[in-house]
Amino acid sequence: MKLIKSIVRPNKVDEVKAALEKLQISGMTVTEVRGHGKQKGHTAIYRGQEYNVSLLPKMEVEVVVPDSMADDAIRAIIEAARTGEIGDGRVFVIPVGESYRIRTGEKQT
Amino acid sequence: MTYAGRFTAARHELMAATERGEGGRNALRQYSHRMDALVQQLFADAGAASHAVAVFALGGYGRRELCLHSDIDLLVLFAGTIAAEDERFLHAFLNPLWDLGLTIGHHVREVHEGAALENDNPEFLLALTDARAIVGDAALLDQFFAVSDRARTATRTLDALKALIAERHARFNDTLYQLEPDVKEAPGGLRDLFGAQTIAMLTDPSLLTQGGSGPRALEDAEEYLLRVRSILHLEAKRHHNVLGHELQERAAEILRYGGSTPRQRVERFMGDYFRHARAIDRSLRWALRAAPAPVGRNLVRAADGVRFVDNRAAAERPEAWLRVFQAAIDGDCGVSDDALTMIQQNAGRFTPEEFLPTAAHRDALLNFLKPRPGLYARLSEMHDSGLLGQIIPEFKAINCRVVRDFYHKYTVDEHTLLTIRNLERLIDPARPERERFARLLGELESPELLVLALLLHDVGKWTDEDHAAESTRMAHQLFERVDLDRESRGVVEFLVSEHLKMSLVAFRRDTEDPEIVRQFAALVGVEERLKMLCLMTLADVEAVSRETLTPWREELLWRLYVDTYNFLTLAYGDEVIGPDASVQSDLIEKRPADLEAEQIAHFLEGLPRRYLQLFAPEAVYRHVRRAQHLDLDAMQAWLERNDAGWELTVLTHDKPFLFSNISGVLSSFGMDIQRGFAFTKPNGIIVDVFYFTDDERFLELNPGGDAQVLKLLDDVLARRAEIAAKLKGREEGIFRRRLPGFAPVIHCDNEASRRYTIVEIVAENALGLLYRVSRVMSELGCDVDLVLIATEGRRAIDVFHLTRGGQKLTPSQQEEMTENLQRVLEGRP
Repeated sequence: MKLIKSIVRPNKVDEVKAALEKLQISGMTVTEVRGHGKQKGHTAIYRGQEYNVSLLPKMEVEVVVPDSMADDAIRAIIEAARTGEIGDGRVFVIPVGESYRIRTGEKQT
Repeated sequence: MTYAGRFTAARHELMAATERGEGGRNALRQYSHRMDALVQQLFADAGAASHAVAVFALGGYGRRELCLHSDIDLLVLFAGTIAAEDERFLHAFLNPLWDLGLTIGHHVREVHEGAALENDNPEFLLALTDARAIVGDAALLDQFFAVSDRARTATRTLDALKALIAERHARFNDTLYQLEPDVKEAPGGLRDLFGAQTIAMLTDPSLLTQGGSGPRALEDAEEYLLRVRSILHLEAKRHHNVLGHELQERAAEILRYGGSTPRQRVERFMGDYFRHARAIDRSLRWALRAAPAPVGRNLVRAADGVRFVDNRAAAERPEAWLRVFQAAIDGDCGVSDDALTMIQQNAGRFTPEEFLPTAAHRDALLNFLKPRPGLYARLSEMHDSGLLGQIIPEFKAINCRVVRDFYHKYTVDEHTLLTIRNLERLIDPARPERERFARLLGELESPELLVLALLLHDVGKWTDEDHAAESTRMAHQLFERVDLDRESRGVVEFLVSEHLKMSLVAFRRDTEDPEIVRQFAALVGVEERLKMLCLMTLADVEAVSRETLTPWREELLWRLYVDTYNFLTLAYGDEVIGPDASVQSDLIEKRPADLEAEQIAHFLEGLPRRYLQLFAPEAVYRHVRRAQHLDLDAMQAWLERNDAGWELTVLTHDKPFLFSNISGVLSSFGMDIQRGFAFTKPNGIIVDVFYFTDDERFLELNPGGDAQVLKLLDDVLARRAEIAAKLKGREEGIFRRRLPGFAPVIHCDNEASRRYTIVEIVAENALGLLYRVSRVMSELGCDVDLVLIATEGRRAIDVFHLTRGGQKLTPSQQEEMTENLQRVLEGRP
């Protein structure tokens, strides 16, 4: 199993979700996050004065998929979230050893 | 029977009753009744007056407690101005009363004098509280009160009463235990009893039943004191109220007090006197302590909130109900339960129009909707009592409406009211976390329109169709009913129909894409609407559930606001009206007969699109008309008065220092420029509009002052006069008086616009500020092409679009300008 953690633009969440659903991946966690990568944010000016926008609003989408589906899922996410410009986001893939369904205590490998 | 005969008979009747020890309430009522008949007879015999006229009994006579030697207090009220014929009438009416030996206290008034009633003398105001019609057109008194300011009159009457009581008590060393008491004036005497009753009448009729000695004890005390007073008048044969030792014996005898010696009888009699005086004293103290404060006509503020003094009368006057809620907001309290119950029981009897019968009532509704602490609570009371739905039936459609969308947590009506609570919480200094949004709210010109839009934004949810469209349709019904002005309609309609757009763009679109911001800016058009929509979105999202408005969403919303604001103020110069006539087709189609389509198209070409959003069609047509045949040196300028102050429009050909000179002329007359726009067309024609206040009232106090302003403007633009010299004296005064303020901000930007260097200045507002800063720009050889002027409180926010020789400024030019501006703003030479 792989945990795929992707940081995407807020307006791309719906598209990422739709792309994953197409692969029949439905369980996911979406979190509002803030941060920056190479983009490093920028300073905005309001009425002549600068204000800091160094941490940009992003969404984090997490899904756990079987190893066999990981590549398809990663590709789907990248395609859905891409605009081609700086700030499109990042995908991290983390191996998952064990997982349990809380309701039943059932172990899934 | 003759007057004298009737009068004597009436007096003998009262004297006989007094001898029997029965000169109390009944006997005095009978005597008052006889006096009424006499007055009516005299009135009839006095002939005709030139106006409708009526006579009213005041004071003790008004209360039907006329004693044997009491003054006869009368009010003679005329419908119109008193003429010679009326004077004759007065003599004919009053002379026989004097001839009978009566002491007359007469007040003569004209109905219109009610308008100044609150300033009338305090004794008259007090006597008026007991006014009773005797003869003539009784409705005159209602008219007299109708033109008065009832709340202020009631307050002044109460204050006067309290002052008179304190003064009177001081004369008696503040004690009722006098060995020879004055039954009228002393503490615990008749005046104190009437004082307590008057306080109750003016504030809360049930006051004396709630505390003090209770109504029964007061009734007994009154009867007792009146009987004693009648005896005093009878025995002294004059207006005499002091219960001296001899008279005490006589009174005890007439009132048949038992006891073997006169001393015993007197002791028993005086024991009763003090018991009654104590009862009155206790009730008066209670009334003074517990009386609610008058806060409006028939309105008082009591411990349990604002209430009607007379609930039954209020039930018939639905147009006065909103004032209860307004008074509660003003007094930072609630509305009392019994007022709410009355409203709940009666609200259904009236149509929406009956709640808002006049333009003043409709304005009062808008004024009520200004966001302030307490508005949500009052609106909730209005909703719960059914009043809100009666005044705004559109709101009734969503009463307890449940929409299952797995998103909203409250019924639609409560969601709506919560949006208003969220807005009012922004103002709460105890919640500073949303300070940046709170500042936007403080900057709005008409925040009540935002509240109105919030009230209406979801009313369309009664159907399952597109609710924004349905809410807009329903909002139109309300506009018609309350006769909302066109500009306000435009704002509220925009907010209701587009209320979902900003959250959609902020949360679901890529706001880093300039095109998305450009489209959103085109939708909102001007900063005021942007601010309103931003606040509406914030309040709306927060009212969905406690968790919906995360700091993350707040940030997205704020960024979209800032990006759009910057687009509207900094980038609008790039969005010009092209030769393509489609943009202005509506303007052309609906043009007045005297204008050709080409004239309009030609005038608009090259102006920023923003121009069309700032001016109503009539203003555009006027500009077009005035711009025809504008010679190179000619100027078209006019001044107009508007709600907030004055407006100067100037059309002319551009030339160096033009903007600076116009603003300088206004400043030289002491005008405070609040808002404004300057547009320059590629062919050099400029349209400048300044909105200013005339704090020194030059235009108001000087007939022809407007012509004087325009004449100086013409002279300065034609270089026949020099403005710098005229401003010098004023400027020196300003620099001397300069208060410590905040540091000015100057920001130059070459990125926001393709064509212009943008200079944004935020500085403390001061007379001549615009003149000074724009002069610096012109001195450096810059063309001032576009200007947006705004003032928010003490801050002036001015955005200039500049070019020099048709190009943006180089970094070194920008630096030089910033330095010079800084110097001028700091008042350095």
